[in-house]
Amino acid sequence: MKYSKMELPSRADHLWRYTPWKRIHPSTVETIPDAVPFRWEIDEGGVLTDGMPRVMADGEIARVFLSELGKTGISLSTDGTQPVVHIRAVASGHASVGHLHFDCDKDVTVIIHLSGEAEWAGLHITGSVKSNVRAAIGFVNELSANSKLLRCEDWTVQRDATLEMASLSIGGFRCKNDLRTRLTGTGGSLTQAISVHGHDQRHVDHHIEIHHDIGHTTSDLHIHAACNDESHSISTGLLTIAEAANHSDAGQVFKNLLLSERSRAEAIPELEVLADEVSANHGAASSPVNSEQMHYLMSRGLGADEATSLIIEGFMQDGFSALNSKALVDEMRTRLTVHLECELMR
Amino acid sequence: MDEILRIENLHVSVDETPIIKGLSLTIHQGEIHVIMGRNGAGKSTLASVLMGHPAYVITEGSIFYLGQPLEELTVFERARAGMFLSFQYPVVIPGVQVGTFLKKSVQSVRDEPIKGRAFRKELNEAMNTLDMDKSVLSRYVNDGFSGGEKKRLEILQMLMLNPKLALLDETDSGLDIDALRIVAKGINQVAPQAGCLIITHYQRLLDHVKPTYVHVMIDGQILMTGGPELALELEEKGYDWIDVVPEA
Repeated sequence: MKYSKMELPSRADHLWRYTPWKRIHPSTVETIPDAVPFRWEIDEGGVLTDGMPRVMADGEIARVFLSELGKTGISLSTDGTQPVVHIRAVASGHASVGHLHFDCDKDVTVIIHLSGEAEWAGLHITGSVKSNVRAAIGFVNELSANSKLLRCEDWTVQRDATLEMASLSIGGFRCKNDLRTRLTGTGGSLTQAISVHGHDQRHVDHHIEIHHDIGHTTSDLHIHAACNDESHSISTGLLTIAEAANHSDAGQVFKNLLLSERSRAEAIPELEVLADEVSANHGAASSPVNSEQMHYLMSRGLGADEATSLIIEGFMQDGFSALNSKALVDEMRTRLTVHLECELMR
Repeated sequence: MDEILRIENLHVSVDETPIIKGLSLTIHQGEIHVIMGRNGAGKSTLASVLMGHPAYVITEGSIFYLGQPLEELTVFERARAGMFLSFQYPVVIPGVQVGTFLKKSVQSVRDEPIKGRAFRKELNEAMNTLDMDKSVLSRYVNDGFSGGEKKRLEILQMLMLNPKLALLDETDSGLDIDALRIVAKGINQVAPQAGCLIITHYQRLLDHVKPTYVHVMIDGQILMTGGPELALELEEKGYDWIDVVPEA
């Protein structure tokens, strides 16, 4: 179905309750504006090739919109010569769009850095992790403070494959992230960690879907959002375990650190479990800065701002603790530290 | 000897409940003062109020640190002025690596940029003194640490910060004999240049750390002061013989 024929989603829809489609659309919702493609750069160890097949998810408005907006995409392949492959996507102009497809057929760590001054950026990443492959994919949103971001990802994890995903959200003004993974092969495993830094009036919406289509699969989701000033973080998770997916093991943890009276955070895990013999758990917690942690750090000579900054850094970094990929964790830590040091100097 | 700390007729309340009820104490450089007493006597309250914990309110009396009224200093200013508290229950700070934390702390207290190589050398020496594994530096502060590991990390911080006044709140609790000896080694290293106030329930730490004075604190007051032999006497006789109110 074409975008122009689609019904606009209502706020009754779980997916669009907190960030309505019209608020993340680049212009008026009836239109498909002109968009310039992202400028892509890649380090040694990988190749980007034009001409990725267009992806049109039936009935999902954001994906259809992105598909019609960007006429072409690119495919990533890696040669396994580098421990970490960095990709930089730069968004510019009024609206900018990029599609990236990646079939992981060998063990790999890829870090995608999204930056630029575009008023609106749309990104669709699709990929699969082939059998017995271990993939670690990092995403760092470093867009300009005035940018809007619509980001969709669709991944499949095949038999005995492992996918570790880290996402660090520190840029952009209004960001809607819709990240979906299907565990399609026995023994497939997903660990997904997301850290958000809300500041000023940032609005960051993460919708995470994890689907256990088959048994003996595991998933582990951690979202840590630190919200300051008048920022707003929304984390919704949909975990489904199909009827045939016995012996699946799934967990979701949402934590929010509220740093100001006017910051807000929503954490809404949702589970649909149709199989009988599974382990599925979820938890959510929101709290202000721990005064005992503050006192401890200040008793070691750190001023209040430094202590708060270190607690935020720790809280956000702790979101990545479940990941096994040291390269991924180190990269996220480096980017986070630089970001928070800049924030501290503002 | 130089006066480090002078407490005069200190009264402290928590949630309007009086805990310390007229305590006076003076510590000079090179002195090791030990405070012993029953649970709830106000020992940890004293350590907390000295370090400026916001939950404790001084209702009467005064404290002077290096001749300056302590109340004029915020918590981090006290640390930067050379006060150090080894916490009874060190808090967990998830996501913050020990190495990062130590570097920031040392940098703040010394108020000067730290040269990486010199810092690492100093840190290595301190860790060797305390028989600590270097892997602890990449772990998160107190996260998943055993009781003994937490106390060793406290002492490591003390060695790195090289305080003028070291307050040790039950640092010996939960330590096995070997760990106790190592922690005592750290205390003895700092003690000659600093004033030390050690809060403890047990005499066994004093087999390794020789106190100048032992004070008995009961119901928010120091009721008795003696030398190291007092600790042995307390170990043997308990506290009942001290706070018996004489008949009129």
